[in-house]
Amino acid sequence: MATKTSGLDQGLDSGWRAVITARLLWLAIGSTVLAVVAGFVQVRFGTYSMTFGEVWRGLTDPKILLDLGVWQYFLFGGQLNPGALLTPGSWDAVILESSLPAVSRETLVVWTMRLPRVFIAAVVGSTLAVSGAIFQGVTRNELASPFVLGVSSGAGFVVLLTLVVYSALAPLVPILAAIGGTVAFILVYLIAWQDGTSPVRLVLAGVIVNMVFQSLQRGLFFFAEDLGTVQSALSWITGSLTGTGWTELRLIFLPSMFVLVLALAGARQLNVLLLGEETARSLGMRVERTRFFLAAIAILAASVSIVAAGVIGFFGLVVPHIVRLSVGSDYRRLLVGSVFVGAALMIAADTGARLGLSLLAGSMGQIPVGIVTGLIGGPYFLYLMRKQQEMGEL
Amino acid sequence: MVDHLTAPESSGEPIRSGDAETEDSTSDQNSNAADFEGRDLVLSYGTDAEPVIDGATIRFPPGQVTALIGPNGSGKSTLLKGLADQLEPDAGTVHIDGKNAQDLEPKAFARKLGLLSQEHTSPESLTVERLVAHGRYPHRGVFESLSQADRAAIEEAISVAGISHIRDRPVGSLSGGQQQLAWIAMALAQETDILLLDEPTTFLDPHHQLEVMEIVEKLRDESAMTVVLVLHDIEQAARYADHILALRDGEIQANGAPSEVITESLLAEVFRIEASVETTDAGLRVTPLRPRHE
Repeated sequence: MATKTSGLDQGLDSGWRAVITARLLWLAIGSTVLAVVAGFVQVRFGTYSMTFGEVWRGLTDPKILLDLGVWQYFLFGGQLNPGALLTPGSWDAVILESSLPAVSRETLVVWTMRLPRVFIAAVVGSTLAVSGAIFQGVTRNELASPFVLGVSSGAGFVVLLTLVVYSALAPLVPILAAIGGTVAFILVYLIAWQDGTSPVRLVLAGVIVNMVFQSLQRGLFFFAEDLGTVQSALSWITGSLTGTGWTELRLIFLPSMFVLVLALAGARQLNVLLLGEETARSLGMRVERTRFFLAAIAILAASVSIVAAGVIGFFGLVVPHIVRLSVGSDYRRLLVGSVFVGAALMIAADTGARLGLSLLAGSMGQIPVGIVTGLIGGPYFLYLMRKQQEMGEL
Repeated sequence: MVDHLTAPESSGEPIRSGDAETEDSTSDQNSNAADFEGRDLVLSYGTDAEPVIDGATIRFPPGQVTALIGPNGSGKSTLLKGLADQLEPDAGTVHIDGKNAQDLEPKAFARKLGLLSQEHTSPESLTVERLVAHGRYPHRGVFESLSQADRAAIEEAISVAGISHIRDRPVGSLSGGQQQLAWIAMALAQETDILLLDEPTTFLDPHHQLEVMEIVEKLRDESAMTVVLVLHDIEQAARYADHILALRDGEIQANGAPSEVITESLLAEVFRIEASVETTDAGLRVTPLRPRHE
């Protein structure tokens, strides 16, 4: 900072450097430690339990880490064949089928089954937390989340509809879910629109759309023909990471990075929106347009998580509050913090969802992670409310 | 100077702005001050509501301080909102330097005109300095960080508002008066030609009322800023404003220099009070005596 002479302390540096405060740094470090520990536990235990040494050997297996072909397989689903790009008409040969080299059983379990699930949990947690944080800023309502604003129930309804009625479309469920979420939010927006929207009307409209979609969801269950469909539908609408792997990660990784960058770019707009609509407008912001774009980013973020994990409740609501308590309400810090804390808590919650039952009841069954987040998130939210009379101030 | 402000009732037709402009630029000391006027403004809330302001044409003396006074519900705040483009007029236009304000990009408009609303919210943990820095929003591109000019404007605003001692405090920890000063600093950092203040002294203790009015005085004497403020305190208006505009039921009842406007008969008519008005060394003294019931 060459402008010390101006008398402004570094708190005013508008660059991202100044965003990193000691608290944010500690929050990020703490989250990373939690993520690594929970991730390690997730990878080690399970039906095929390993020692920490075996996990370590699996994780650092040079046959995986140093093999470009393996990484192409993970990241693109096959062998890259860039040459095909040059010959039009043969673009379907850009990614050739390939398979993993012969590796030890530990390596296989670590790299193909358990580790990708940890990564997915991180991405899903980050995007959900960021989505909730944006929605809370856009509506200036601390109870806002993708859940409250109809996005989740809209997505859930479409998923159910697909599985129960149009089962041929089942492979498209992730995309359809995202579309359902978007449609639901647009509905919310239309209902709330009256010469512009207001935070209160948005949340009220969200409650209405939520109720309708949830009733429709319950109604659909009666049309399900077999128990398998019901179970699969249930795991979608409660949110679960069971059975996810590199395929899902490939699907959501790039969109999630894209949406996180967009979100961070919108941080200053969110900060100005927090000063109230009138002030934002008198500062020259096109309030409705800004709100709409920010909401679109939040929907996209929520959709990314829904695509991989279904509808995980409470997470997008609670995590921003936790972060706000620690780093304050500046959205640049809040969003960065939400990325870290969201990832870490989702990995931890999913570890609990996968291994919790075997610990508590000795059975090997898994529960959907959405149940864990609800069970822990609900009471924790209550605790936050009690502890802070004014809640995480917005 | 009275002809700066032209109520539609007085002439029955819109003012001829061309003539007025040339007159002004010669008579006015601040030749670079913004020319600010509302023409035939009709303002209402919602489409089928009765207009609060039904056709007001006002021209504000460039570089000077104009106070809007009038009883509750007389349309002062509504007029201010209409002038600030917060409330879209049903009819009529707002002109800044002869240009229709509606043709300006929102940010360009916000570089010309700042508004401090009556009520404001902010996150409690926001520091005063950061709040003031938000005033630079219309001067910055979406991804630009604070420039030297931004920093200089923030410093200037903090110093004019006299809040350097609390610049690092969170807004939530300040008294109402201190918060108001911080918000005024934010509006000052916007570096506009025109500043509208909606009841900046209401609910403040006497000390902070004087602090606020001292800022207004500084703006009047040391800058070319055109200031329009809504005041409830008639004496305050008389003391600090160059011009006073009295509103009743959405209509401009009087306008002109304080000594011309603040009279016993006007107070009786506009505020429905009996009051005595004396000229003292400290300015006009208005002593309200009793309400009029007629």
